[in-house]
Amino acid sequence: MDLREIWVYLSGSPLFSLILTLVAYQVGVFAHQSMGRSPLVNPVAIAVLLTAGVLLAIDMPYAQYFEGAQFIHFLLGTATVALAVPIAQGWHLLKGRFAELGLALIMGGVVSVVSSVGLASLFGLPLELVTPMLAKSVTAPIAMGISESMGISPTLTAVYAVSTGVIGAITATHLLNALGMKDWTARGFAVGVAAHGIGTSRAFAVHPDAGAFSSVGMGLHGVLGALLLPLVGPWVVKFLAT
Amino acid sequence: MLKGLIILMLYQGAGEIVARALSSPVPGPVIGLILLLVSLLWRQKTDPDLQVVASSLTAHLGLLFVPAAVGVVSFLPLLKGHMLSIGIVLLVSVLLAMATTALVLKRRSVTKPAE
Repeated sequence: MDLREIWVYLSGSPLFSLILTLVAYQVGVFAHQSMGRSPLVNPVAIAVLLTAGVLLAIDMPYAQYFEGAQFIHFLLGTATVALAVPIAQGWHLLKGRFAELGLALIMGGVVSVVSSVGLASLFGLPLELVTPMLAKSVTAPIAMGISESMGISPTLTAVYAVSTGVIGAITATHLLNALGMKDWTARGFAVGVAAHGIGTSRAFAVHPDAGAFSSVGMGLHGVLGALLLPLVGPWVVKFLAT
Repeated sequence: MLKGLIILMLYQGAGEIVARALSSPVPGPVIGLILLLVSLLWRQKTDPDLQVVASSLTAHLGLLFVPAAVGVVSFLPLLKGHMLSIGIVLLVSVLLAMATTALVLKRRSVTKPAE
């Protein structure tokens, strides 16, 4: 039996990438749970680092990996549609608060875009590293779609979005305490707007009301971002390029 | 399980069709999200099967962007030397965005008379 031949067959089949991705994520989830769900141990970050590490170690080109992993990737669109369910369920919480939540969402979204793009260009980052910042506070599946439609790297957008979520989940409790925020709904909403999905799972771990408002904040930011960023984005890119 | 998945994919498909027909810059799945949201709010209840599929998908949302994020390996040469700046930008930006959102809500609830 020739092991090499078996390896050549396996590495060319989608099965290898699928197993690698699922196992890496499971390891991440396990580590997260065994560390008392600490925001410092993020399952997605662990899964990405592990998978990337294996690819580099066995010298497998990313395109070959993605050929198999695309089956997981495809479900992103379906999962985006599924976000309608938590928004619909949180809808009654929003009644009578549309004005203040809408204003907070827009302000948060604008600050996120302006501060990241502004600071990144101030630091002299190359343009292709600045533009994925535009959508980074939007939940990753939507952010990638937005970036792709503007010709910006969806990969870097996903990496920025995941990092943003992780940083937001780690810092949220300290920041919101320092600001003297006592209302769980307001705390949750702020986390969802700034740190989307990863922030939301952190919010759910802290308080159910915070979690519910966080998922609504994330969902609304996703929709608003998808509607407005394609209009504003190209203008910003053009401005930066000159 | 199956029914929920079919509902989601039909809305996703409808979103893609609308996006293409209008050559909309808004991604198809987001249009699908909006269409599904409207129908859920209209009918005032969620199919239990859809509920099951939607919560399992959103619970493991993180898994779904692993394949794309792993693409960072092909950007390593470009990212080299910029990691620290990117980290600072992301940190400052997320803190500012969160603080802004929170403070707008705090201000509004302070100025609003107590209910």
